Amino acid sequence: MSSESALTDDLAQRRSGKHAAFLAFAEALLRASRGEQDPAAADQRQFVTFVVRDLELGIPVMQCREVIRVSALTRIPEAPAHVRGVVNLRGRILPVVDMRRCLGFEALQPTSRTRLVVVEAAGRFFALLVDRVLHILKLGSADIAPAAPDGLSPLAGSACTGRAAAGDATVHLIDVERVLATVARGKKPLESEKA
Amino acid sequence: MDALFSSLVKDFVDESKPIAEEVAGRILDLERAWAAGADGRAFLRPIRSGLHTLKGNSAMMGLHPIERVAHALEDVCARAGEIPPSELAGEAQILLDGCDLLLGLIQSAPTCEADEGRAAAFVERVTAALKAQRSAAAASAAHPAAAHASAAAAAAAEEAGGSARIEDREVDELLELNGETIVGQTELVRLHARLARGQFESSDVVLMDQVLTEIGRTTRQMRHRLLRVRLAPIGTLFRRFGRYVRDLARDRGQPIELAIEGGETAIDRAIIVRLYEPLVHIVRNAVAHGIEPRDARVAAGKPAQACIRLGARLHEGRVRVSVADDGRGLDMQAIAAKAEAQGFDSAALGERDMQRLIFQAGFSTAASVTNLAGRGVGLDVVASVVQSLGGSIDVYSTSGQGTVFTLDLPVTVSLQKALIFGVDSETFAVPAGFILDTMQSGEKDMQVVNRVLLVSWRDDFVRAADAGRLLGCQGLAQAWTRPYAVVLQAGNKRGALLVDWLSGVQEIVVKPLDDLFAHCRMVAGATVLGQGRVVPILDCLEVVRRTHHTLAPERPAPLAAEENFHVL
Repeated sequence: MSSESALTDDLAQRRSGKHAAFLAFAEALLRASRGEQDPAAADQRQFVTFVVRDLELGIPVMQCREVIRVSALTRIPEAPAHVRGVVNLRGRILPVVDMRRCLGFEALQPTSRTRLVVVEAAGRFFALLVDRVLHILKLGSADIAPAAPDGLSPLAGSACTGRAAAGDATVHLIDVERVLATVARGKKPLESEKA
Repeated sequence: MDALFSSLVKDFVDESKPIAEEVAGRILDLERAWAAGADGRAFLRPIRSGLHTLKGNSAMMGLHPIERVAHALEDVCARAGEIPPSELAGEAQILLDGCDLLLGLIQSAPTCEADEGRAAAFVERVTAALKAQRSAAAASAAHPAAAHASAAAAAAAEEAGGSARIEDREVDELLELNGETIVGQTELVRLHARLARGQFESSDVVLMDQVLTEIGRTTRQMRHRLLRVRLAPIGTLFRRFGRYVRDLARDRGQPIELAIEGGETAIDRAIIVRLYEPLVHIVRNAVAHGIEPRDARVAAGKPAQACIRLGARLHEGRVRVSVADDGRGLDMQAIAAKAEAQGFDSAALGERDMQRLIFQAGFSTAASVTNLAGRGVGLDVVASVVQSLGGSIDVYSTSGQGTVFTLDLPVTVSLQKALIFGVDSETFAVPAGFILDTMQSGEKDMQVVNRVLLVSWRDDFVRAADAGRLLGCQGLAQAWTRPYAVVLQAGNKRGALLVDWLSGVQEIVVKPLDDLFAHCRMVAGATVLGQGRVVPILDCLEVVRRTHHTLAPERPAPLAAEENFHVL
């Protein structure tokens, strides 16, 4: 313990030096090792924002694994309407969930800006098909207003946990697990032709 | 429950379940020894040491109901060791019931549903029994075999999400292989850099060839080793039948011996789990239909004690499981009568083909409905399950000598042979076990009768469906323009899929699909082919069923100018 406090003293002396950024990082590491939180960052949360038709949506960065381009998509016969098929991500086969369909719009026709946002929800991996990915938004709890589901489809409204202003636009923060839970419960696919 | 504790409980379950199962097996041996008038001390010792371990482990985890039950059982064992076998009554039954309870409690340990009440009731029962030894016999008289069977089925289902034990040595070997692969990959990176700089020499091609061969070898070995981790000895499944057969025998009041051979044969745990129900069915059939009453056996010059043999062995890279009884054999007259009634020409069928009719739906020949057989769930269901595991089933019966069921199964379900076909620019895989035939087909081979599409195949007609329409592809081509047909057999039904192109049979790695696709009954999983392309694997049971429920579109008058533009 004594060596640790010596280190903290040393850091305090050099805080204003030219290695300030590095020291701040080291301090953060030290705090993390003790299980403390950065007082400034404690309140900050990061969201990945993306566009679905004309809506800006955000999901917690912790739920997002990566963003990939749309590669060869394999349709699965009789899949629910909002599930476009599967893609292969390094040997793992992920269901592709069309966010437009999830929010009650027409299916998305992929363009060069279309992306797959790979998310992990309840231990399962999914690829969300979105119009385009915007950026990472840092929000403090004061920046987040209560959810305003008007203007959203019931499905989108029910998954909305809050909203925030980003420039001129409003970003709807959504709970991926809730969207996917609704999707997973899903309707039965249209019964195919049967005698 | 916090994460550390739940992982400890999981370890406890993994460790304790085999011990409890072992103890249960020994108790059966003990019961047999006692029944034969022996003192059974040789079996008591391992039972007591197993119970002691369970008691210690559960006490350490604070799982007191388990601890108390194990302790009570130890008391029973101690008492049983002191008195001569002739004075024993009901001890074996108490031990068996206690062992069932222990298994149940161990199973439910992770969910913290340990049933204090049941444990306490059992401990009381043991205490009472030890006080008044005689009364215990009456208290434990009737425990139907079904209750145990359902408990065992639950245990089997539990195992589906189970964990594998892996030895440190195996992990080391895997890491070593992984290291070799990384060395190869580093070499490839170096070669790639040289190629990118334009400094590639012809000798590098040879080097690259070597590296690729090496990487191929190590990855294959790694895969092989990892697959082995999935395997478990089939004896764990067979041993569950010790209790089941014992209870069936007791219900019938007739001694039946269970012999196990080749229990060490390794097979995919996923197959073990799914094999339990079919084997229960076959064993139950053997007891209900096969084994004659004691008098009939003695009259036929057979030993009064009947025998059921469960066996497994490796045969040509597959596992052959057999269930044999020494009963009267299949009732060929009843089968012939049933065949006639269902419109089969029994005279034209050979002996073996007649026997195989029992795998057809609605072929139960049990004269009366008992709790053992004749409830309409037939061997056709068993055959379907075996087939869906990528296996096949056969029967061989000799009148008066017995019946043998053989199940030919793959060692693992994660590797399968499959045929790849294409239709309307989409690609699908069909497990090879379901394919009867593939052929070129054209308009001349097809007929539409009452909107039923038929394709001629070997002097016969098979219900056919256009694969593009059935699987919902976005093509415009019609069934009769498809150049190929794949004839499938699933269970006792045949169906043909009309497709655009076929490629050869190849080995594929089966990957499960997410639960989002649970409604997609025609798809059993997916595999990854060259260039990372995902291809759905069809569930042939469902596909064939659908071919029988699909109506053909009205066929337009054939146009002379129509082109087969979908041909390859």
